Amino acid sequence: MLQVSELESGYGPMQVLWKPSIRVRKGTITSLLGPNGVGKSTFLMTVFGSVTPWSGKIIYEGEEVTHLPTHIKVDKGLTLVPEGKHLFGGMTVYENLMMGAYLKRAQQYREESLELVYSLFPRLKERGKQLAGSLSGGEQQMVTVARALMSKPKMIMLDEPSQGLAPLLVQHVFETIQKMKAQVGLTILLVEQNADASLAATDYVYVMHEGRIKAEGTPEDIKSSDEIREAYLGL
Amino acid sequence: MLLEQLAGNLFQGLVLGAVYGMATMGLSLIFGVLRIVNVGHGAFIMVGAFVTLWLFTALGISPLVAVPVAFVVGLGLGFIFYYTAIKKLIKAPELASLLATFSIGILLEEVIKLIFGSEFRGYNWALPKIDLGVTVLPLSKLYACIGSIIIALILYLWFNKTRAGTAMRSVVEDTEGAKVCGVNVDRVYANSFAIGIGLTLASGVLLTMFIPVGINPYMGGSYTLKAFVIAVLGGLTSPYGAFFGGLVFGLIENGSYTLFALIPGVEPFALTRFLSFLMLLVILLIRPTGILKGK
Ligand SMILES: Nc1ncnc2c1ncn2[C@@H]1O[C@H](COP(=O)(O)OP(=O)(O)O)[C@@H](O)[C@H]1O
Ligand SMILES: [Mg+2]
Repeated sequence: MLQVSELESGYGPMQVLWKPSIRVRKGTITSLLGPNGVGKSTFLMTVFGSVTPWSGKIIYEGEEVTHLPTHIKVDKGLTLVPEGKHLFGGMTVYENLMMGAYLKRAQQYREESLELVYSLFPRLKERGKQLAGSLSGGEQQMVTVARALMSKPKMIMLDEPSQGLAPLLVQHVFETIQKMKAQVGLTILLVEQNADASLAATDYVYVMHEGRIKAEGTPEDIKSSDEIREAYLGL
Repeated sequence: MLLEQLAGNLFQGLVLGAVYGMATMGLSLIFGVLRIVNVGHGAFIMVGAFVTLWLFTALGISPLVAVPVAFVVGLGLGFIFYYTAIKKLIKAPELASLLATFSIGILLEEVIKLIFGSEFRGYNWALPKIDLGVTVLPLSKLYACIGSIIIALILYLWFNKTRAGTAMRSVVEDTEGAKVCGVNVDRVYANSFAIGIGLTLASGVLLTMFIPVGINPYMGGSYTLKAFVIAVLGGLTSPYGAFFGGLVFGLIENGSYTLFALIPGVEPFALTRFLSFLMLLVILLIRPTGILKGK
């Protein structure tokens, strides 16, 4: 579904990514783990295109998309739920969801997508008329995920969706991600610091350190390697 | 007697304030979407005023028709300046865009001076005055006020009912969020800058109806200052906030003029300008996000 090879990027003169390569298979949940500041968010943003790639290759559904602008990628079904709450605080929850279906392709499926989103997050239906900025942290996180689903994606990249949430909500987030894979058939690339919870929910794992991929394997591989767990995941 | 005069002046303040508000919407739109302060704002107002003058004196075209013409000229100028200068500066440090818009302002002033000269020039749009009870108002000022309200309403509908307008609103709210929804942010930047400049030129047309001494290429500076005060009053990023900021500013300017005129030995006009500066400073100190829309 997605194949990234030897990606390099950074900010100004500072290089953050040092040629990491990953592959995400269709219909799977792949996670990218690693401690704070190693370049996980930069990786997702570079794949999405909000950070410009310096070199390397990004292939999505068999097509090279390395330098395509973000709105074209969203139209092709590849979207990102960025780290932090990048929702439209001055708009209502419903307006936020409608913005998710902004592109013509997504607009066609608006009612269908809305039904799906409300079945995953019934809370958002009740909160429809409320300003998104006035919601609780957990609810705001739901809005950003729901908004991404409204764009009728084939693949979603999630950047720390459980960040700052209470344990019960974290569990709900991971359940929802599982549902997105099983019921909707989405392909998911998940970035997390919460290694324990994501190892339990994932099909394949990459471990990033200082902008490089240091290890990869099934969750079992990673869990059974004391070396990886101690050196990179702090478990 | 004094109260009557004050009521009359306040009414005139509201009429002028609506036009001031409209004349600030472009500044707020550009700041809200691109996070760029257009220091050349007043120069674009001046160009709008000269479009009016030229259409009227050379071709005999009514200032009311000049409003859409100036808007279209502004759109054109906006796109030209966006693609030649502004586009590259959006992600640069603020100083770069400040200097760029400042230079564009000077460029416009000098070009207009080359064409029209630097003396004050006026045009005579002979319209009757009407008696509204509280005050007597030239019909031209009433038209300017109504025109401003109509333009503000159109902008409101554009923002809330059209796809392109909603896209702009989403960029104002959160640029990253807009990107992941599939909004073409680069295009929104270009359109917003062009529309912002278009609105500003159109406001220059309406403002000529309030300038009895005539216009000249260097008239823009005081409007830049007023627009900053109004934009800050209205919360900087919201064009409607700016519109209401304009109403408040018009009231304060005209109300204070009446009161300053009572003080013997002072020149009230100079004091109102001092008051604008003072307001800007005080607001920025207490409530940098604006008075009307707090966040
Ligand atoms: N917008 C930015 N400008 C400059 N440096 C940044 C920016 N965002 C992140 N960085 C730097 O890039 C490095 C990687 O950050 P990030 O990708 O956010 O890591 P992670 O998501 O793994 O915590 C860090 O050193 C961080 O300070
Ligand atoms: Mg991060």
